[in-house]
Amino acid sequence: MTDLVARNLVVKRGNATLLDDLSLSLSSPGAVALIGPNGAGKSTLLRVLAGIEAPLSGAVQVGDRRLATLSQAVRAATIGYLPQYFDPHWDLTVADLVRLGAERGAQRRSGAIESAREMFELTPLWRRRWSTLSGGERARALLAMVLVVDPPILLADEPAAALDIRHRLDVIRTLSHRGGERLSIVVVHDLDLAFRFFDRVVVVDRGRIVADAPAEALIADPLLDQVFAVRFERLKTADGWLLRAASRA
Amino acid sequence: MKVWPGLLLALAVAILVGACAGHDWATPDDLLRAIAGGPDLRSRLLVEWRIPRVLAAALVGALLGLGGTIFQGVFRNPLAEPYLLGSAGGAALGATVALLVPLAAPQSLVLPVLAFVGAWGSTVLVIGISRVSGAVDAAGMLLAGVAVAAILGALRSFLMLALSDETVSLQIVLSWVLGGVQTPTWPILGLLTAITVVCLGLALLLAGRLDVLGLGEAMATAFGLNVTRFIAIAVLAGSVVVAAAVAFGGLVAFVGLASPHIARWLVGPLHKPLMPASALVGAIVVTLADALARSALPPAEIPLGLVTAVAGGPFFIALLARRLRT
Repeated sequence: MTDLVARNLVVKRGNATLLDDLSLSLSSPGAVALIGPNGAGKSTLLRVLAGIEAPLSGAVQVGDRRLATLSQAVRAATIGYLPQYFDPHWDLTVADLVRLGAERGAQRRSGAIESAREMFELTPLWRRRWSTLSGGERARALLAMVLVVDPPILLADEPAAALDIRHRLDVIRTLSHRGGERLSIVVVHDLDLAFRFFDRVVVVDRGRIVADAPAEALIADPLLDQVFAVRFERLKTADGWLLRAASRA
Repeated sequence: MKVWPGLLLALAVAILVGACAGHDWATPDDLLRAIAGGPDLRSRLLVEWRIPRVLAAALVGALLGLGGTIFQGVFRNPLAEPYLLGSAGGAALGATVALLVPLAAPQSLVLPVLAFVGAWGSTVLVIGISRVSGAVDAAGMLLAGVAVAAILGALRSFLMLALSDETVSLQIVLSWVLGGVQTPTWPILGLLTAITVVCLGLALLLAGRLDVLGLGEAMATAFGLNVTRFIAIAVLAGSVVVAAAVAFGGLVAFVGLASPHIARWLVGPLHKPLMPASALVGAIVVTLADALARSALPPAEIPLGLVTAVAGGPFFIALLARRLRT
């Protein structure tokens, strides 16, 4: 099992401290939602965990290896990264994109491309170019190109934020479902989806982890109201709680 | 029609047209007689002057097409011009020195070498500047390239004013700077062919990673590409290709911009098929432009760079307009 551990991460940009001595331990398997207000440092944390950005100090441990010592190919095959915005510069076909995803990493599994095509129902879109795809189709193509190598760790940065509710549910369900066997860490904007689909919720605020607990324990915590600077009403539903936000008086 | 046979056929036709075109138009029969070793003066002129010139034009065009494709891939900007990084400005400066400063070695050797050194040096300078200023991304290099190109252009103008006298004609420098394929000897043509083949190989080596880079820097890094290092390598490779083109063809505008576009319409944006397709399109374009340059205003010859600029400028403006509209 490939665990992911961050120790004392510091990231600064100019005078701003984006990550402030942040430590976090994520064990595999598991589905973890990262939540927090805008500018809390969620995206930066994900980029550092993915090895896209190097921290000023601190280190990331992947299994029993340090992330910085992994070869590019091993890192690419071990950690899947779904960016917040993805728009390729050239108008490639779905087939080309998934093939580029499959060609990263050292070993190639035979049949990986075909099974990704089946799993994400891309067969009818296979020869279509990116610019002709709808938002939901793009999300499926992006998931296929990242998951085609079946990485043990998946880091997803709100990939569903711009989708309509049905596609958002599909994507979030796919990502949280992966947490059953692998490690799936997802920045989630929609708090109800975070508490409903993830085992564990981590709250990031001002570059620090301010709460880290099972979803059902955290939802009642008044800290949520404080971090998001609103007043939450907690409404009981048939299968859990629903949060309704109101401006603070 | 299939794309590849179509491109090859178009190139063959362009070379045939180019070989016929001139102050004094030849017929395909004349060409056949010349290639078969006809002893008359006309045949000898065709074999020793016109045919090597036409083939050199095609190879220079191929190099420009490759250079443009590499630079557009690196900058992920279809409006990127191979000359933006200052390599052309450096090459022109090197060539100006070769033409104006009396040196011990023969000019036919010194000019390509100094053009190479100039192109390479200015590209390294641009990378150095952007690295020192901490902006080793595409935009940072592009801006550094524009500044370096402006400085090199001013230096070249100064050299032209200061060093030219009655013995060295500015005409020679100008005709080179304005672009024009020199007529090579057959051994030099062989060398140019070898250089072009090597450059094609180099471009194909970069192709897969250019595709990955096109996914965006974050995604490319997540896919295991060392983006900073690859951009530096690809820029150097691209400037080798552009330097070779400039050394043999002077400053020929817009072919490096237009060829990758036309090739992308034909074979799509993946770089592996794009490289040879863009080289073929560049070869066709320059061969035809050179034929026009030699034959439109006899007995004068229009500089090739002016022909491609007049034809390519509107192409660039149309691309820009379409891009701004969407």
